[in-house]
Amino acid sequence: MSDAILLLLSLQPAGLLLLALCAGFLPAAGAGLAMAGLNSVGAALCVIALALGAPAAELPLPIGPPGMSMHIGIDALSIYVLLLVFTAGCAIGAFQAYAGLPVTRMAICRAAICSAGGMLALLAADGILLTIGLTLAVGALWLDTRRRHATALLIPLLLLGAVALLTPPGFAPRFDAIRTAPPGLMHSSAAVLLTMAAVTGLASLKPAERCWLRQAVLAGLMMPLSAYLLLRLTVELPGAGAHPVWGFLLMLCGGVIAVRQSWCAGADGQIDGIADALVRTQIGLAMTGAGLTVIARLADLPAASGHALADTLLLAAGGLAGTVVVLAVHAVASGAGSYRLSRLGGLVHLMPGTAAALALGLASLTILPPGPGFACLWLLMRALVSAPRTGGLVADIPLAAAAAAVAIAGVLATTAALRLGGVALLSRPRSPRGAGAGDIPRPAQLAMLALSCIPVLLGLLPGPALALLADPILHGLTGVEALARGGPFGAGSAYLALPVAALLGLSTGAALLARRQRRTEARLAGPWFDGAQPPAGLPFGDPLAQSAGEGFLPPLPAWPTVPMPAMPPSPVRRLKSVQTGFWLILAGAAACLIILALTGATE
Amino acid sequence: MRLYLALLTQGLHIALLLAMAPLVAGVTDWLAARMAGRAGPPVLLAWRDLVRLWRKTPVTQDNLSVVSEVAPAAGLGTMLAAAALVPSFTLGMALSPLADTLVIAALMIAGRVIFALAAFDSGAARPGLAAQDAASLAVLAEPALILFVVALGMMAAGFNIDQIIAQQQEGMLLPAVASTVALTALLGVVLGEAATRDSLRDQVFSGPDLALAKLAGWLRRLVWIDLIGALFLPIGMSTAEAGPIGWLIGLLAWGGKLFFFLFCLCGVQTALGRIPRHSLPNLIGVAALLALLAVVIVLASTGAV
Repeated sequence: MSDAILLLLSLQPAGLLLLALCAGFLPAAGAGLAMAGLNSVGAALCVIALALGAPAAELPLPIGPPGMSMHIGIDALSIYVLLLVFTAGCAIGAFQAYAGLPVTRMAICRAAICSAGGMLALLAADGILLTIGLTLAVGALWLDTRRRHATALLIPLLLLGAVALLTPPGFAPRFDAIRTAPPGLMHSSAAVLLTMAAVTGLASLKPAERCWLRQAVLAGLMMPLSAYLLLRLTVELPGAGAHPVWGFLLMLCGGVIAVRQSWCAGADGQIDGIADALVRTQIGLAMTGAGLTVIARLADLPAASGHALADTLLLAAGGLAGTVVVLAVHAVASGAGSYRLSRLGGLVHLMPGTAAALALGLASLTILPPGPGFACLWLLMRALVSAPRTGGLVADIPLAAAAAAVAIAGVLATTAALRLGGVALLSRPRSPRGAGAGDIPRPAQLAMLALSCIPVLLGLLPGPALALLADPILHGLTGVEALARGGPFGAGSAYLALPVAALLGLSTGAALLARRQRRTEARLAGPWFDGAQPPAGLPFGDPLAQSAGEGFLPPLPAWPTVPMPAMPPSPVRRLKSVQTGFWLILAGAAACLIILALTGATE
Repeated sequence: MRLYLALLTQGLHIALLLAMAPLVAGVTDWLAARMAGRAGPPVLLAWRDLVRLWRKTPVTQDNLSVVSEVAPAAGLGTMLAAAALVPSFTLGMALSPLADTLVIAALMIAGRVIFALAAFDSGAARPGLAAQDAASLAVLAEPALILFVVALGMMAAGFNIDQIIAQQQEGMLLPAVASTVALTALLGVVLGEAATRDSLRDQVFSGPDLALAKLAGWLRRLVWIDLIGALFLPIGMSTAEAGPIGWLIGLLAWGGKLFFFLFCLCGVQTALGRIPRHSLPNLIGVAALLALLAVVIVLASTGAV
């Protein structure tokens, strides 16, 4: 059964690559429908695998250098992350088909290649295929980055290096070989360091502005993929080989990313920039969770590592909320004609469907109960509380620093979400163009709303959801038994999300009922403060009369500039366009695959 | 029987807090005036205000959304949920399994966010700027609150408030230095919040909505006092099974603590005067650093306690 599912899943990247090739001939809506169809089939396969409890499976591919044939495989972790990626891809495809937002054929092509590469990386059971998949994914995104540095292309190589370091001497760089012979301390530590560098690189990839499709793919794919890489290469494969100090370093690095990105989200003046930074905050938090999992696993504390791992898995699902936010902000910009936060306002009246989806997505990224963001915060703090303590300041200060970073990042993300939602959706329109905004077609609204409901459900039922979707991962990696029944969400020290939601609903409902008892006809006043009518020359009010959300946080100072190695000048500068470079990469990858196939794939 | 007692004490607790919240506001104003040498307003003035506002015809604007309609009730509901989780005169109430300190902290954050959303929805300058100002202060204050909760959680090996109070009663919430530093941090956060001008609600709501919003604000203040008293001075707190005598003792002790905290709060405010706006970030920043210090002390003292 697992083999059949794996075989069918392996057709998904092939289908997406075919879609990339056909993007030039298909209309955008047709390509979107094809993408949604492919992803929905993939999601259905993942659901079947989860429902049947399909065991891990691995299949060799008939390509690869001698002695190093490539393998694809699935296990509980890859199925979980694939389900998230397919779900996000399905919504993105449906949105593309029905929203009618402008998108170029080249953007569709690159997004399909990026998705195919990401899925290939998730299906990879060896270092070579992982590298090829990531090369496709990162290469397609790299062509769109604002400031193109060659260092971004090092990300797949860093991960290849990590897998090679974990592989026992004399073996092909396959995951099952690593599992049978766990690596030593030095190799594991170096692998963790390389993975951390690669994921930090992924978190800093910024697509070109104003292309909703690439940004949505980045949110829906890169966030879960980053969590997957962290869990696979720093938690699962090194096993007990790594040193705890690398766990501390992961935590601190994740904390720095989370705080910086959440601060950027709170200070950015462009709504797509805010959405982008909120997604990257989640990557930082996932890195902190992975670091804590490493530390707790090495100290043989199953409860703490279970909490930290559950937090990382829930954060991976935060990619869905990030995708909703990205799609919604681009729908808002399309309807209201501006990406500037200070030019928007009152969209809850003009674009109700999009506003509801954006509000749900943003609520899922905050630390307000009973959302998934709060469940993540609770799990991470619970893991920190029960983390190993040595009694020495040097070893324990990183734990305190991680707690502070997580708390600050959570509050900053909440502030950023409040700012985006409060300014763009509420109050009055701030420009004539904004006052004439119209919502996107209903099927696209439904796609966003359906996607935004998934994180909300995860927040309401974190324990059962994780037990259903990720119990084998938690049991396999940390030894925690039955999360929902007696684990982190069980009796005793527990976060009972649904009862807390019920308590909130009851108390708010009681207050609303009391308010309804006092039925009085409200006296209508003008749109200006104290009921004054707006002056004739300013029908939308004085822009200075409303808070435009520009004073929440000052902008962060830029990183100190470090001279970066530039690409060799001659071949790149001679290219006629970016598209030429893109086709060259594709052709190069195809040539590599053909050479590998011709050289024969033998064990 | 135990369940009935737990439900009964929970109901009594909620009714007590709802009744006392306006009274505490009235007593605070009266005490502050007396300490400043003035006669002071009647203690029941806050209650009278509530009744007066409840009877008034509300004023609304045509640009308001459902957020403004729901915000007063949602804000009050959030504070009511937080108040229901913080024990006053007895432990082991019906909602004690839900009484997680991190949940309580997050509910306090949610209360601020709800009223900030309502302020933005009004589309007026002053409430929006006030909400923005509160949000920028919260960037320091709320991490301090979360770190305070983490420090307590590390000392008590869990976030449940009943568990923390029980350990405090038995003198097991160690190290005491960390406990003291955490208390100082929380006091800093509360003083910072008390010093911010609470003009936001008056400018956004009117009539019954303003009554609900005011009650939410007073309830918030009572939750802070209740939280400090329960966590750091759990004298006289009985269990739900102790019966009416035990409850009465707990109630008297709670009243005494409440008056003591109000007296101290008004004393500090009278002695120091109103903290200027530009000094608030310093005060809250120090509170955040103290909360972080409490976490470091707890971590570093492992094995020494």
